[in-house]
Amino acid sequence: MTLNKSQYAAFEDIVGQENISSDPVILYSYAWRSGLLAGATKFTPRFEAIILPASTGEVQAIVRLCNKFKLQFKASSTGWGSYSDVSGPGVVRIDLRRMNKIIEINEKNMYAVVQPYVIGAQLQAELMKRGLNCNMCGAGSNCSALPIAAHQGIGHMSQSASYGERNLLAVEWVTPEGEIVRLGSLGSSSEWFCGDGPGPSLRGIIRGNVVPLGGLGVFTAAAAKIYHWPGPASLPLDGMSPRYSPAYYPENFYIGFYSFSSMDALDEAQRLVGESEIAFQLMGFNAAMAASNIATSNEEDVKMFQEFSKYVKGPSFMISLAGNSDRDFDYKMKILAQIIEKTGGQLIPHILDDPKVASGCLWRYIRSTGSIREVFRVSGCFGGEVGQTDVFRLMADYISVSGKNKVDLINRGLAYNDGFSPFTQSFEHGHYGHGELLIRYMPNPATFRTLTQEFIKQANETAIRDHFGVPGHVFGDTSHDLYGPHVSNYHIWLRRIKKAFDPNGVSEASHYITGKE
Amino acid sequence: MALADYQQDMETCCRCSACKFITLENVKGVENSYICPSIARYNFHGYSGGGRMGIGIALLEKELDYSDKLLEVVYNCQMCGGCDVSCKYAMDMEVFEPISEVRIACVENGKTLPVFDNMMEGFRRDGRLVPAAGTRSKNWFDGRKTKDFRQQKVDVIFHVGCRTSADPSLWKVPQSSLALMQKAGINVGIAGVEEQCCGGRAYYLGYKADFLKQAEYNMKQFTQSGARTLVTGCAECYQAFRVLYDRFGFKGNLEVLHTTEFFARLIREGKITPSKKINLNVTYHDPCYLGRLGEPWIHWKGKQIPGQIRLFDPPREFRRGSYGVYAPPRELLKSLPGLTLTEMERTREYAWCCGAGGGVKESNPDFAAWTADIRLKEAEASGAEALVTACPGCENSFTSALKGRKSSIQIYDIVELLARSTL
Repeated sequence: MTLNKSQYAAFEDIVGQENISSDPVILYSYAWRSGLLAGATKFTPRFEAIILPASTGEVQAIVRLCNKFKLQFKASSTGWGSYSDVSGPGVVRIDLRRMNKIIEINEKNMYAVVQPYVIGAQLQAELMKRGLNCNMCGAGSNCSALPIAAHQGIGHMSQSASYGERNLLAVEWVTPEGEIVRLGSLGSSSEWFCGDGPGPSLRGIIRGNVVPLGGLGVFTAAAAKIYHWPGPASLPLDGMSPRYSPAYYPENFYIGFYSFSSMDALDEAQRLVGESEIAFQLMGFNAAMAASNIATSNEEDVKMFQEFSKYVKGPSFMISLAGNSDRDFDYKMKILAQIIEKTGGQLIPHILDDPKVASGCLWRYIRSTGSIREVFRVSGCFGGEVGQTDVFRLMADYISVSGKNKVDLINRGLAYNDGFSPFTQSFEHGHYGHGELLIRYMPNPATFRTLTQEFIKQANETAIRDHFGVPGHVFGDTSHDLYGPHVSNYHIWLRRIKKAFDPNGVSEASHYITGKE
Repeated sequence: MALADYQQDMETCCRCSACKFITLENVKGVENSYICPSIARYNFHGYSGGGRMGIGIALLEKELDYSDKLLEVVYNCQMCGGCDVSCKYAMDMEVFEPISEVRIACVENGKTLPVFDNMMEGFRRDGRLVPAAGTRSKNWFDGRKTKDFRQQKVDVIFHVGCRTSADPSLWKVPQSSLALMQKAGINVGIAGVEEQCCGGRAYYLGYKADFLKQAEYNMKQFTQSGARTLVTGCAECYQAFRVLYDRFGFKGNLEVLHTTEFFARLIREGKITPSKKINLNVTYHDPCYLGRLGEPWIHWKGKQIPGQIRLFDPPREFRRGSYGVYAPPRELLKSLPGLTLTEMERTREYAWCCGAGGGVKESNPDFAAWTADIRLKEAEASGAEALVTACPGCENSFTSALKGRKSSIQIYDIVELLARSTL
């Protein structure tokens, strides 16, 4: 199926000639596959056209035309993940790149209203000038700052700045039928904000397990909760790319890398850190991720991983503290020392001894710029197991159990041998958490098949059999239909939501759920 | 190397879009956070470094033809290398090189833009990409005592570049350079009206065979002269002689220096001393071909080691823009009494392009002007009274963009200020 001339002209009337294309050159640039779970094919399936709206009104008009022409549509912001791709022809893709404004930063009520193509780095930099900060998607500050854009929106600062779905205070939503719905502060002319009003709360309904991933209309703006930032308005850097480090170690900041004798000990330490609310950031880094973060090339990475593996014994975490004053900082440092002593943690030697390395690490954590190095530099591709948000220990155990199958992939030469330690983190100074297992591999169809048909299949079986809940990698009809019957038949309700808001099935839902029974 | 040799590099693109922005650690707000003029102007992903990787792969996989639209996308790029730096902050893959190879593949497949064909016709005929001004009744060196390095023994060859020779408004720069060299007692020679193009721009337009021929011709002239050092004030020429000639095995032991490097050295050696006060607050624009793309070529021949991580035998070091010419121009500016240097938000390896490179000035002057205008705004926002650069292409681009614009900012080549303080 291709757009006929009159259909194309109708879309062109909305956005102008410069902002629509169905030329293969442009479409193929979008069709190059994501590095996430890559390997099945080089290019994603063909779609009809790419359209670049500049406003919510233009998005609405595009969506209404799609309903009229019985065409599907799918919108994306920075478009990194494979969730942005479509499953076949008959779809018009909406690239929200031109919607790149910070609409409002409300310092008093601590929220920021952003359009989808504001990236995390831009919002954070603007906020820091005002003594504020935001949670940053862990994938990187190159991702959209819209809290409903990027999967769960979990990041390095989720310990003190929560995560995407919880930071979503308000949203402007073009429904699959082309209605504009504004929830929360965006729906109010005053400065009052509330994620649930005015009117009935739709946040949970539209959000689902891991946000609709393009399958339930278009989110054109959102208000994100923002947080206090005790650091400087900006951090001047020394050095040249890729070896930057802050010109000075910011006052009242600390970063440390600790390992523990067992998961029980790490669990206890994370619980105590949360209970005392001392941490700015907490990430269950392992030796491989620390090496990839600090190293500036694969050659360095391999050497550092070998070196770090000598020091990192058992599960580990990287923690940063941010003091609001000298006394606050001293207090937090003392509490951390007590927790480490009580849980038998060990400060991992050498890795962060050099203040330049430590401050570089700290800034990469805050700005979230190390993730591309950590997951993609090795081969340009990664897959693996993405746990869900639930009780931290449950998630850590799930990854530990399902992660054992990684050994088999490594033994068969299908994955990079970077160890088996799960990567875990807790959120919001609490018991809630998340776990992931990183599997880096050279993309090719055989590995992709093994990963999806064997590894993830086993991970699903483990999650269902041992009651670990619905993992974060569950999206699309097949996965939801697999998990739903074991989890209160949620798939039936999810499908009803989809059908209620998208009766014509025009919002392409290959990564959400379709209305098909 | 050919496009196919970069297939693995291109396929390492994970689609993260870091290539669109300055290195993320340096983002200071919404303003000035982009690095790539092409994606910033045209918005479709295909105009970005990552999008160009997808297009390159599609060409190799024969999913795309060499169409007019392909040329439109391919040549609406200043070849500034910003995407390459931002990508390689995190990744081990080439970006700039395959983008360049796509242009070469276009030319080799007979798909070219008429504007460049015309330029190349002149290049093949006269050895210059920019036609000489008027009838050449006047030249930049008229009335100056000069040596011809092809006839007389000299230590230093001063190569002006065809863009500068052809544009009388730029002549004050080589004239100042020559005067400074002579004041320092340098035994310098030029080729005068016989000077030919470095060929660098021909290469980056995709005309590789023409470049190779030109490089061979030029190096023969340089070698026969016996001079050990070549100095140029043009960033594009510098990159061609320093990087491309080395890459393709022409350079030999010829020392290639940009005027900023050469004069900074002369100041350090006490051979020239800036003494007159210049009360000016300036900002410095890093030319792409002197800065991030001016870093030396790294010779490597080997292969990727089979396995699940991209490692090479022998180990492969990537050019990441870290070792371009950044310090000498700043050293020069700081040596001028009374002058204050204020940096723009985007500097050094993540500087925004002037807009003129990659043939854009010739094929799409509006886009070149749009790009220059953004840089001018950035310069104005720095509070500087003058924007100083070190390349005639940049100077020309900024001066053109300034016309019809209400701005009090002045445009200088760094050598003009040095001469004013020294001579």
